[in-house]
Amino acid sequence: MSAEITITTGLDLPMEGAPGTEIRQRTAKGPISVFPSEFAKVKFKCLVEQGDSVARGGKLARRKDLPEFFVRSPVAGKVKEVILGDRRSLKEIVIESDGSDNNETFGTFTVDGILRAKAENVLSELIDSGLLGLMRQRPFNHIADPAVKPKSIFVNGMATAPFRPDAHVLAQGKSDALQLGLNALTLLTDGPVHLNLAASAKGANDSLTNASNVQVNYFDGPHPSGNTSTHIHYLDPIIPGDIVWTLRVSDVIRIGELLLTGNYPNQQRILLAGEGVKPEARGYLDVPTGMRLSDVIADSLQEGEQRLIRGDTLAGEAIDPSESGIYLYDQGFVVLPEDTERHLLGWYAPTKEQFSAHKVVPSAWIKDKLFSFGTNTRGSRRAMVLTGIYDSYTSLDLLVDPLTRACIAGETEDAIAMGILETDPEDFALCTFICPSKTDFGKIISEALALIEQEGF
Amino acid sequence: MRDFKETIEKKHKEIEPLFHKGGKFEKLYPLFEAQDAFLLTPPDTTKGMTHVRDAVDLKRVMFTVVVALLPCLLWGMFNAGHQYYHYSGIEAGLFAKIFRGSWIVMPIVLTSYAVGGLWEVLFAVVRKHEINEGFLVTGILFPLTLPPTIALWQVAVGISFGVVVGKEVFGGTGFNILNPALTARAYLFFAHAKDMTGEIWASAKDGATGATPLGLGAAFGGEGLNVTEELANRGHTFWSMFGGLEPGSIGETAVIPILLGAAILIVSGVGSWRIMTGGCVGLIATAILMNLMPTQSSAGGEVVQMTTWTQIPFLYHFVMGSFLFGIVFMATDPVSAASTNTGKWIYGVLIGVVTILVRVTNPGFPEGVMLAILFMNVMAPIIDYYVVQAHIKNRNANLRKFSYAKG
Repeated sequence: MSAEITITTGLDLPMEGAPGTEIRQRTAKGPISVFPSEFAKVKFKCLVEQGDSVARGGKLARRKDLPEFFVRSPVAGKVKEVILGDRRSLKEIVIESDGSDNNETFGTFTVDGILRAKAENVLSELIDSGLLGLMRQRPFNHIADPAVKPKSIFVNGMATAPFRPDAHVLAQGKSDALQLGLNALTLLTDGPVHLNLAASAKGANDSLTNASNVQVNYFDGPHPSGNTSTHIHYLDPIIPGDIVWTLRVSDVIRIGELLLTGNYPNQQRILLAGEGVKPEARGYLDVPTGMRLSDVIADSLQEGEQRLIRGDTLAGEAIDPSESGIYLYDQGFVVLPEDTERHLLGWYAPTKEQFSAHKVVPSAWIKDKLFSFGTNTRGSRRAMVLTGIYDSYTSLDLLVDPLTRACIAGETEDAIAMGILETDPEDFALCTFICPSKTDFGKIISEALALIEQEGF
Repeated sequence: MRDFKETIEKKHKEIEPLFHKGGKFEKLYPLFEAQDAFLLTPPDTTKGMTHVRDAVDLKRVMFTVVVALLPCLLWGMFNAGHQYYHYSGIEAGLFAKIFRGSWIVMPIVLTSYAVGGLWEVLFAVVRKHEINEGFLVTGILFPLTLPPTIALWQVAVGISFGVVVGKEVFGGTGFNILNPALTARAYLFFAHAKDMTGEIWASAKDGATGATPLGLGAAFGGEGLNVTEELANRGHTFWSMFGGLEPGSIGETAVIPILLGAAILIVSGVGSWRIMTGGCVGLIATAILMNLMPTQSSAGGEVVQMTTWTQIPFLYHFVMGSFLFGIVFMATDPVSAASTNTGKWIYGVLIGVVTILVRVTNPGFPEGVMLAILFMNVMAPIIDYYVVQAHIKNRNANLRKFSYAKG
């Protein structure tokens, strides 16, 4: 049984800097870093000290609230440095690779064999290896809690936000790992496992469209048709009290690789795209997990001040490439030029160069043109004035204005009744984008979700 | 052009420290910010999870409303000149009328902007918030709702009331409950009723009073006369009122400039077509309902003549008085209107209904649209509340369809 759903609301940003489908290799260079801090809201206890030797797959840190969960090393070598962050939280562990094949292995399964395996065994291997960290749970979008069985599992294979990686490129040459990962997921829930793909990819005839044992669904329409919240809303919506797990195709592949080979995965495929990347460097990279970002993007960026974004343009985090490396959870980066240019009377000049979704500006009438998007705010922050416009930029059954107001006022009960538990801050990114008052909806929603999680419901 | 821009940028950088904390003109920072952001777009970059922004900001949205009001303003100036010469009994050419009209109207607009702007800046400085662009709209919307014969001190008092009581006491643009321009007009309407309604042009000709067709119509209706016929006898036909060379408030007499403004607002997405359509639907339905009212009553065996004001065709309601102007420019103010899209429909329809109820059942207040909009401004949060409750109910019903996973 598979569903085909068409979304009519939303907006695809006509953005310059789209990548090709070429896949390049980056070889390891310099030390490798592991970032326990990538798992937000989770506290870790460090198990190693400077100078300790670790094997590939060796234990580096342990979760305080779930002691069976370990952060593991993608390479064999010596611990060079343990870096602490705010409030002495464990931020980063730097490992100097020694090139040895010192390897701590995990249990292996065959693609079909895993269907007859015990769910507990698979789950405990995922917890033990730390790859449980790739599984997220809704509501609140944090690491899945293995103690609660989800009512269904959603795998996102879509890329409507600029520029999320194309799942079909990520899965190229990895069909066994993908299918094994999907099979493993079917053990973890009594409900269905949904694999959600773009309707345009229906004819691809690859390991994704032909995936078995899961329900393959197709979504059509502009962004946010590719957001996980959209898929959940249309296929198996969250009623307060429900738990669903969510993953992306890249996560399923990594889980499949671990279960297939028994080796802790040390390579991952990421996308580097955006206008700030030189055209010839835009595309997919096979990189070692934990490689320094400044090495990954070396010689790839355009001249001028650029912003490196972990995630995508609409929902990502601006990062300093010298301070960070490839996270386990990473699947793509976008680079945009920092735009601080001031325009004379730009607030009313009829621009054709800056994209707008509002028909007040000539650029909104131009079809089939790609625009250059800088990071400029294009105006200053004001009180919210226009109303009712945001509803056509969400694919969920929401009244954005009253929901946002309830969130600002801290009326969590009202917000829950209006459906906030079905959402993630990324679902409001288009509202943030189009808002003439330059309101940051993502911040409002994430603060409200944090408050609800803290208060309970 | 580039050099000019760079010069400004340099100059601003030079003087900016004077307006920062500890600077000489620290208190005037909102003024500096306003002119800085007016000349040059801000150099700020995005923070948070969404890294790009749309090219449109609130300045452009607000200014679009001002642009949409320009046809009404231009027509209003010409018409003011026309009425001036008409009632002074002097023959005048086109240019004389335009010149005289601008001479009458521009001081009103400038007074409104100057006095209202002063309050806006004062509040911005004291409250330490930025100067809101919403004032660009209020400052021109208010004069257009006034008769051209209004005294300038009345304009100043009116706009002060509108800006301070209608908006700033609530916290400025975005927080107000009532439309500030309409609040200002309502204040003048009740405080200076004689100067706001009825016979506004002191006439040099016998018999011509300069009363608005709406005021005349209500009076004829009260006497049991055929309203449309009596109006036509005095030169107020449907098409003359459509054309707009009629006595009335500056911006509202002609239909075509208002429709032009409506087109600008709807196409640009700045004004809500739901409110406008809803208002027209409500007006038409109620006017037709009113047509069904009897004109004679035979209660107690005696035949009593009742008002024939109920009998005018609904199309007349569009061209008489300010309904179109109100529903296009006033009711669509997103801050004081209902915020949900369903709510906007209800809000619009009820404005149409209340306009006719006030106009027809209470000839003492022939201009119903102002009261209707203010009344619905107050009711808008209640409409939104019920829309949200219905939405929640509907949501829960939809979610329950998927209850298989819950067993």
